[in-house]
Amino acid sequence: MKRKGLRFYLRIYRKILAQDLKSKMSYRADFIISTVGMIFTNIAGFISFWILFRNFPSINGWNYYEILFLYGFSLISLTPVQCLFDNNWSLRMYVYSGDFIKYCFRPINLFFYFQSEVFDVKGLGQLAFGIGTLVFAWCKLGLGFSVLMLLKVIIFLITASLVMIALQNAAAASCFWIQNSFYILDFVTKFKDYARYPITIFSPVFRFIFTFLMPIAFIAYYPSLVILRPDAVPVLTWLSPLLGCGFFWLSYKLWMFGALKYSGTGS
Amino acid sequence: MAPIIQIQNVTKEFKVLNRREGLKGSLKDLFSRDYKIVRAVDHVSMSIEQGEIVGYLGPNGAGKSTTIKMMTGVLEPSSGEILVNGNVPYKNRAKNAQEIGVVFGQRTQLWWALPLVESLKLLKDIYQISDKDYDEMLSLYRSLVDIEELLHKPVRQMSLGQRTLSDILAAFLHNPKIVFLDEPTIGLDVSMKAKIRTLIHALNQKKKTTVILTTHDMGDVDALCQRIVIIDKGKMLYDNDIEHLKRFFGSYRTLKLRLSGSRDELVEQIQKEIPECSVSSDEEWISVLVDEEKAKVMDVLSRLQQHHKIRDMKLEEISTEDVIKKIYEEGTA
Repeated sequence: MKRKGLRFYLRIYRKILAQDLKSKMSYRADFIISTVGMIFTNIAGFISFWILFRNFPSINGWNYYEILFLYGFSLISLTPVQCLFDNNWSLRMYVYSGDFIKYCFRPINLFFYFQSEVFDVKGLGQLAFGIGTLVFAWCKLGLGFSVLMLLKVIIFLITASLVMIALQNAAAASCFWIQNSFYILDFVTKFKDYARYPITIFSPVFRFIFTFLMPIAFIAYYPSLVILRPDAVPVLTWLSPLLGCGFFWLSYKLWMFGALKYSGTGS
Repeated sequence: MAPIIQIQNVTKEFKVLNRREGLKGSLKDLFSRDYKIVRAVDHVSMSIEQGEIVGYLGPNGAGKSTTIKMMTGVLEPSSGEILVNGNVPYKNRAKNAQEIGVVFGQRTQLWWALPLVESLKLLKDIYQISDKDYDEMLSLYRSLVDIEELLHKPVRQMSLGQRTLSDILAAFLHNPKIVFLDEPTIGLDVSMKAKIRTLIHALNQKKKTTVILTTHDMGDVDALCQRIVIIDKGKMLYDNDIEHLKRFFGSYRTLKLRLSGSRDELVEQIQKEIPECSVSSDEEWISVLVDEEKAKVMDVLSRLQQHHKIRDMKLEEISTEDVIKKIYEEGTA
């Protein structure tokens, strides 16, 4: 047996993705409706945002375009979890019905095999919308442009994505222990909406929670500081890429631990 | 040559919470540490040679699936040793998976939305099958079943029979040393069952694949298995070939008669006349179970003819199903 490295997995993923897209396109109505739905969800989110800011020109020292920047940033960083890890939402059903066992018989990584099965195209609309919003806010803020800045944005976007993926993995993995894990997953997903606000607007208790317990502040706030408040970047921000990887690794371990423990019961 | 599967004294225990009744009981359960140990598999040993087809039988909940899960590396045995193809399955799940194929009757492992051929191509990449081996396997499949109509059909549009057939093809694709088939013919019609049995038999012959088959359908057993292993309540009851099984339980034959007269009286009367056989009756027939070691069917018949007018008769061999039913009953007694 040949060693299965990153290249092997990328190749497999590419092939599964191509097949998946092909079969999705064959349900044309479904494809169009879900894309349109995604666009409307984003527009609605944007409008409520806009109405809020017509009444308050700034929140706690953060102006409209800065908040918009955070919003765009969070939309982009939520794309990977939406596109690549959407099967986490079905995990509960597979575990409940016992169908999860079918993932255990392939000579490849269990986590990879499970997640590779679904690619959610809708996330791409969100990505486009997020990039548009970020670029718009960036121009309006007159932030200027350098390769270094772009590099920073990219690194911190990856960090933010990892944090969100980690949160969702951990929440989804709870179904290996708890029957009604839907609420946990739903809870975590709802919380991510707070990620688009600067955490300084919350009370110290919530600031602590969002930083250390439910680290959603890493999804947009801490990373954005690098661009928006380059003079006042806390140490935590510079640590966040490491923390992101750490969170992801922990959530992966938790997921795998649960999966191996689970297959131990029932038939 | 060493056996392909070696199981030695394997036991698997599960910890199950003792549930109490009622709402109050449920509340207590929240804090309870009152577990009981359930032994799903109890000191089972067997060894299976390359190329065998073994029927693994037992009533529901006997521990069949648990044993298979241990052999496939999904479960770790509580005690005892399992070697599959020289590997400890639980420790090398991925490595073990490369050499085995698994089919679970009603749960397809194929990609739901994809046509079969695309699933097979993905499996080709996942198992790293060479182009040559892949083409060879596909032409072997073509010679055995009519796969052309299946290849381009999405799995979700297939009938249960077609899906099972596809799953079996997928399981054999990487030419594994062992294939585990868990109730492959469950819920299928007669012609599909026959098709699937022929396919499994042919693949076993051509590729020398070891097949472990669990089923409740004695047709599968009679058509495919030379050897059967019976398990109940986690304990092994029987491990030998089928012929031996029939001999082991005596050479029973059932003589079925239609006589003139009242049935109930006749049953009593006949029982007295031939005490070495057991007599029973149903709507149509009076059945006389004859143990050929004790009495010859012909003798019994001629003795009966002296006293009764026989209107109709037939002779039935004892089926594998009857024998196994007997083992289950005796095993649980």
